[in-house]
Amino acid sequence: MKKIILTLVLGVTLAYANINVDTTYSTLGAIVKKIGAEHVNVTVLGSSKYDPHFIVPKPSLLAKLRRADLLIINGGGLELGWLPPLLRGAHNRNIQNGAKGFLDISHSIAMINVPASVSRAFGDVHAQGNPHYITDPHQVPIIAEVIYKKLKLLDSANATSYEKNYQVFMQEWKNYLTEFDAKMQECKTKKVVQYHLLFNYFLNRYSIKSYGNIEPLPGVSPSSKHTIELIRMMQKKDIKVILQDVYHEKKSASFIADKTGARVATVPHDVGSVKGSDTLKSFYNTIAKQICH
Amino acid sequence: MKKIIPLSMLCALSLMADATLDTIQKELETQKQKTATLESQMQALSRANTNQSASFSQNAYLPDIAFILDMSAVARDVNNTAYSNYAIPGFIAPGDAELIFNPNRGFNLNYAELALHSSVDPYFDAFLVLHLQSNVFEIEEAYVITTSLPMGLRVKAGKFRSDFGRLNKKHHHSWHFDSQALIHEALFGPDALKDPGVQLQWVAPTDTYLMLGAEAMQGTNEASFGASESNNLYTGYLKSSIDIGESISLLGGMSIIHGENFENNTLNPTDLYGIDFTFRDQLGAYSSLLWQNEFIQREKSLGIRVDKQAGFYSELIYTYNNNYATGLRYDAITQNDTDLSAYSGVDTDNLDRFTAMLEYKPFEMSRLRLSYTYDRSKIISGERKNINDVMLSLNISAGAHSAHDF
Ligand SMILES: [Zn+2]
Repeated sequence: MKKIILTLVLGVTLAYANINVDTTYSTLGAIVKKIGAEHVNVTVLGSSKYDPHFIVPKPSLLAKLRRADLLIINGGGLELGWLPPLLRGAHNRNIQNGAKGFLDISHSIAMINVPASVSRAFGDVHAQGNPHYITDPHQVPIIAEVIYKKLKLLDSANATSYEKNYQVFMQEWKNYLTEFDAKMQECKTKKVVQYHLLFNYFLNRYSIKSYGNIEPLPGVSPSSKHTIELIRMMQKKDIKVILQDVYHEKKSASFIADKTGARVATVPHDVGSVKGSDTLKSFYNTIAKQICH
Repeated sequence: MKKIIPLSMLCALSLMADATLDTIQKELETQKQKTATLESQMQALSRANTNQSASFSQNAYLPDIAFILDMSAVARDVNNTAYSNYAIPGFIAPGDAELIFNPNRGFNLNYAELALHSSVDPYFDAFLVLHLQSNVFEIEEAYVITTSLPMGLRVKAGKFRSDFGRLNKKHHHSWHFDSQALIHEALFGPDALKDPGVQLQWVAPTDTYLMLGAEAMQGTNEASFGASESNNLYTGYLKSSIDIGESISLLGGMSIIHGENFENNTLNPTDLYGIDFTFRDQLGAYSSLLWQNEFIQREKSLGIRVDKQAGFYSELIYTYNNNYATGLRYDAITQNDTDLSAYSGVDTDNLDRFTAMLEYKPFEMSRLRLSYTYDRSKIISGERKNINDVMLSLNISAGAHSAHDF
């Protein structure tokens, strides 16, 4: 009987000791699971099937934010269109901007495509630079490090466990990157166009040149004039790959493919966006496979 | 002698060496000085590069500012003078209607709105919404909310729109139709239920979203309340939501209000009961189906009798690819137990309205909306008149991006 009570009490305290971590997107969630393992309950707020700029602010997300001990956001303005009202409505002081349980990963990233001037006349420009850094596998160790430091700070009782997981993961990822980079060598001469500036960090990393976007301006639907210009340019420069994300309409890409003979590559923008991209490695492998092969 | 020579030679040598050392040291000094000047110049330059702000500039602390414009072109089969004196039997007497949105045939500039938001400090966020019309300046809302209360609590204080029901809290530009829902217009008027007051809301620490709220407000809204000697309006509500799968969300709420009216120069209670239900299905990344309903009943005591009135709206909105939306709304007054003797000989039954709309958004900050309304809720110049109304409206919101609503 005593044993049962003890297990019950222990079980309860163990369950209680877990910290609730909410991440805005799935790749961040996957990295938290690597470092936090059994000590964290991870909730991903924005489904990787949808546009990360326009996550539907469902009231159920309020309940998830209400109980979070730590909120990890992508930052760089990516959550601007959906998260602020949810954060105000969740009434959780632990995860407000500036609180101990709030972490903006973009503060640790060297942002690219920072515009010299900003105006909505140029569409929904990312004023703080391109926030889609998650597509570059070399950002993972940087992200893992800030997450590790934050978990250690919030939950010092499990610090040794986090440290161990972090070391193991870093070694594993280092090996993975060596292999990955070697494979990407053969991809260097590729030329692509994409729908939105989603994959610039990946493309820059591996010296793949992106020549244009299907959307004429960020957040603006394709126009026939712009599409025709894009087709002409692709024919002139002999561009044979169109990077399509899972959430934008696919008609424009297949029309362009028809006219240019290019291949439409459906590339995941986050862990789990497409079939077979449910883990960190399979996510980056799928990006590489779709772009290169 | 032999000894002297080397000694003197040594002396000479050392003298020479001293001289060279001197020059070298001098040279070194000048070099050092030059380097120091260069260094300080470089530091000054790099300082100039990294920080060019004026010593007392506070631009980085500017609040988020958005401005919203709303305008329309209207065709209606009632002339402007007659329309401005419309009545809704039992709710709005002839001449009492306050026409804010789209009053005129032809062109209307409905309003310009200025919305500001800023963190005040680690404990408060502040909001200010200014509503501007040709001859009206109104503080539509001005309030602070707390950000650091424990246990899922939040306090709002200032002048704000009540969170009663579903639609009352939302500003005109975020409604799905250009006209106010009929039951809301009948019970609150176009100003909606907003007053100076305080609000306390609590979000339960549960898997399912559950929010309890209470408000104490001044109660100046004349359509239902209007006693002004002290604060007399108390609101309570409960809201909850569940998801079915990844795409479907249900949101429901129950609300009550207790206040006082000052009809016939005596204070008497007014009570309101509301229920609302919203179904939303996310059909794709940018497409959705929304079905939103709200029913409100009012019991207004006049001392000698208690008026019981009620109505609802039901709207169905289909959004396609973020650029297009279309919607239908049906409004009706379902109960009107009050003194209608002023309308003797006029049919006051079945007050209702149909509205259809088609929306085009070239970009998320601008919206063109074409709508048709068949309005059977109004008395025009003493006669029941069914009104046809076609409207093209333009709404833009510039500046700070206001996040999307559910
Ligand atoms: Zn973007």
